[in-house]
Amino acid sequence: MPDWQNFEPFIVSGLALGGVYSLSGVGMVVLYRTTGVLNLAFGAVGAMGAFIAWSLINTFGWPAVLAYLACVGFGAAVSLIYGMLAGPPLAGRDPLVKAAATIGLALILLGSMSWIWSDKARSMVLPTTNWRYSVGQVLINWTQIIALALGVLITLTTAVFLRLTGLGTAMRALANDREITAALGVPVRRVEATTWVVSGALSGVAGLLMSNLVGLDAATLTFLVISSLAAALIARLRSLVVTLAAGIVIGLVNALVTPIFSISPYRDMTPFVLAAVALLFLARHQQVSFARRIT
Amino acid sequence: MRRPTTSEVRRPATVLALLLVVVLVLPPLLSAYWIDVLTAVAIYSVVALSLNLLIGRVGLVSLGQIAVLALGAWVAAKLAFVSSIPFPLVLLIAGLITLVLGTLVGLPALRLSGLYLALITLMLAGAITVVLSTTNFPNGGPGFLSHTESSFGNPAVRRPDIASSDPAYFRFTVIVAALMFALALWHVRSRPGRAWAAIRQSEPAALAAGVNITLYKLWAWALASFMTGVAGGLLAGSVGKLYTYQFPTRDSIILLAVVLMGGIYSLWGAVVAGALMKLLPALLDDWGLPADLLIILFGVGVLQVLLTAPGGLAAQVPKDFARMGGGLSAVVRRRLAARAERAPTGTAPQEPAP
Amino acid sequence: MRRNGVFARLALVLVATTALAACSSNKSPSTTTDATTAPKCGAGTGQKATGEPIKLGAIATKQPGTDFTDIPNMAKAFFDCVNDNGGINGRPIQYLIETEQTDPGQVASLAKKLVESDKVLGIVGNTSIIECAVNHSYYEQQGFYIIDSGIAPECYSTSNSAPVNMGPRYSVDGATQYLIRQGVKKLVLDQSNVPGTGYIEGGFLLIAQAAGIPTESLKDNVPIQDANSVALKAVQAAGQGGGVVLNFTPPEALKILQAAQQQGLQDRVKWACSTPCNTDFLANALGPQWNGKLGVNAELNLTTAAGPDSELYRAVQKRYAPNVALGSFSQMGFVEASIAVKALMSVSGDFTVQSVNNAIKNIKDFKTDILCKPWYYGTAPLHLPNNTDRTVVPQDGKMVEKEGCFAISDVDPAIAQVRRIEASS
Repeated sequence: MPDWQNFEPFIVSGLALGGVYSLSGVGMVVLYRTTGVLNLAFGAVGAMGAFIAWSLINTFGWPAVLAYLACVGFGAAVSLIYGMLAGPPLAGRDPLVKAAATIGLALILLGSMSWIWSDKARSMVLPTTNWRYSVGQVLINWTQIIALALGVLITLTTAVFLRLTGLGTAMRALANDREITAALGVPVRRVEATTWVVSGALSGVAGLLMSNLVGLDAATLTFLVISSLAAALIARLRSLVVTLAAGIVIGLVNALVTPIFSISPYRDMTPFVLAAVALLFLARHQQVSFARRIT
Repeated sequence: MRRPTTSEVRRPATVLALLLVVVLVLPPLLSAYWIDVLTAVAIYSVVALSLNLLIGRVGLVSLGQIAVLALGAWVAAKLAFVSSIPFPLVLLIAGLITLVLGTLVGLPALRLSGLYLALITLMLAGAITVVLSTTNFPNGGPGFLSHTESSFGNPAVRRPDIASSDPAYFRFTVIVAALMFALALWHVRSRPGRAWAAIRQSEPAALAAGVNITLYKLWAWALASFMTGVAGGLLAGSVGKLYTYQFPTRDSIILLAVVLMGGIYSLWGAVVAGALMKLLPALLDDWGLPADLLIILFGVGVLQVLLTAPGGLAAQVPKDFARMGGGLSAVVRRRLAARAERAPTGTAPQEPAP
Repeated sequence: MRRNGVFARLALVLVATTALAACSSNKSPSTTTDATTAPKCGAGTGQKATGEPIKLGAIATKQPGTDFTDIPNMAKAFFDCVNDNGGINGRPIQYLIETEQTDPGQVASLAKKLVESDKVLGIVGNTSIIECAVNHSYYEQQGFYIIDSGIAPECYSTSNSAPVNMGPRYSVDGATQYLIRQGVKKLVLDQSNVPGTGYIEGGFLLIAQAAGIPTESLKDNVPIQDANSVALKAVQAAGQGGGVVLNFTPPEALKILQAAQQQGLQDRVKWACSTPCNTDFLANALGPQWNGKLGVNAELNLTTAAGPDSELYRAVQKRYAPNVALGSFSQMGFVEASIAVKALMSVSGDFTVQSVNNAIKNIKDFKTDILCKPWYYGTAPLHLPNNTDRTVVPQDGKMVEKEGCFAISDVDPAIAQVRRIEASS
């Protein structure tokens, strides 16, 4: 069993990893709470935006800032188009169907990415990564801090926004029941559009950060959502604060297990095991018949 | 007992004839490559069948069937290496053990519904995949894991004595797959099928009607696990050497896509799904097209099915053919009617009467 | 109709997005004008070959995280060049490349497809994690002598496979020898968790043991999601004054090295990498902070080396395969294709499976400035003709040579056996 000094740097890398998971998790929960759609294409949208930014910088010579804006814009545009096309027809259906439809989007994006940008060693280095300072014996960089801070920021602002503003209330109503909300005179299409645009922009930003923190690789970034889902599931797709906390805990546990060589190979199981345990624990009072959404 | 109608006799007869053709006529006509491809199609259509039953009949979605397939393959490989039980029995035992494991997971998991059930199966599949990538598959080595690192001269999973060549194993696989489909059909036609239909329609109504929902949901889950376990055993015998690469979590998502595209309201949809998953990539490769196009196609297919055509290809294609057939026959009828009008006497052209 | 509307719009979006992105990636980074003199390959006649094609085949891994298609793609480029220069006595080479996703069933069936359906006469350029393991008996039965580039252990230990590279085990050996010369006090091997890790670490352990240096052997699942932890783990295991040998594909190695750099770990230990890291793409992505700090075992010469074969390699790449990166992988493909062409040119009479594979088997003393020593096939029970390596380090976006040709240690028993075979022939 390694000693404390060996664990210390993993706390920092764990927080960084946790920041990755929480950011994606929070992004997905925000969209779920405002449109009722669990967007499993969250990672794929961000990944494609990141690839586009990479191409703009490395092949077309665009200035980095413009490329990043293009990435965010792409995320917003794709999400908006998807939301407008697939949102209304699926509005009344089970959340499972809506989530399954986003799988379709994710596959389209993943296939396009593999086709257009074949598997080469690419890297996206944000300028913030070069700004570093040390904590103990570990160096942390600003990209990691931004990822973590962004997760916290989104959590706080969304919580406030949804509860206190008119638009926020409209979004919550929309997620709950589209028909009634429309009947009440809320401009549902505009509210929906706003939600998708914001969520898409967020996935673009997340994509940029992830491509730096995890790697610019289509499959990795697309399926990162599965690990981030764990955080969202622990929060039962409701509480943003719990999602944030769960993401960080998952990252920490994952990293802290690394130096323990005997179980280190199993550390990738952390998100899945924690989510499964949490879900089953929370469902312990349910019966198999009338299995309900855990609300 | 009333006499069966013509269509009721015709249906099973055509299926049987088709089966005979596939088993007897196809193998000598195909090259070794395509036999391998079709064996994979048969195996994965059984996996698709399990998901088809779960989604189409009971309304449950599992995103972990590929992990269950891996478990079935693991158990079958282990049995094949440490014992000399005949292969069909190995398949049965692998299916039963997978059934037990699946039921153990189902007991707590089925308390969740819809989206949560799907997501928890995804989580469990992810966990199993990580464990398998560390423990690996049995390859004749020592200990419980039966795995040895040295990759020199490791034996392949043995095949049944009567079906050790590739074409013979293909026939064996098709027959086993047909048995699985028959098992599914039997379930659908009898009491479990009716209970599932009731559950899918409305759980409160089913409960009020006295249907034991817990039992039937678990039964469906167990059946799906059993079939996938057997498919895993078939896979182990087919490829001989197993690697974690064959069972990525990504494939569970692709499986959902093809099952939806194939159609969940008919068991034939599972065959279409198996073909989409294993035959289409081979065809694309043959035509020199990149496999990535297929992923895009599956994405589009999922959206198409969910947005517009819930019956999938299995429902749509016959309808399309019927529509085409109807359209053709309408055109033919119109032509005939037009000709009849133009020649009112209806006689062939004759010389004018003198 | 709504149904059509949705579909049309979706299709439009898809087309627009892919068109936009396709435009962006099709432009190669070096937009130079066409070479006024086309490279001369093979017979060098400058005339297109128009006879009946001679079919050759290849199988390479292509899946997320692992893409070896650069190798057969470059071989194809060379074959295209040869076809533009008279082919083989006027006959063009038709090269069929199959990709696989590490599914043993698929890999076995692809070999059968090439041999029995497509009726290829020779197999050149195979590069796969498991292909040799799955297919070597089949090739032995069918009488095919394949020229490949790894990676399974069977590629380096069976009679019908002769690689132009030395594979992960011996490349790791070479990287280990480099680190030992750098005076490390402990050696850590970190590799991707793919089949064959036990085989790969075998040589590493023996060599370290012979030098009296303690070792630690680590594995990580790919694709890597937590590169920070992976880099930290390796550095901690190596400890003060230790060395880390990485054995990953370039994208994964890049993740680890960048994570190491982001945490300032590139100076904490000495770093080395097996041959996959030897690409300028990687050197470019690493940046100046890694200058001279990563010792990469180079199974082949620098892509920038002088010498007629290296020049031809660069010319062929620029003209026929501009999207293939310059580096070890494409060099391997080029060398394998050159050897195949030499073998085909030596065939007198009909081109059959026997005549072609006989010619391949009889290759000896194939000199090229891309390899340290002449390449050969022969009838030994195993083939490791490339057992002399270089070490290169990244410097300002390119790989430069740090250590010239050195022999892989014969502490590793197969190397010793091959040296004996070479001495006796």
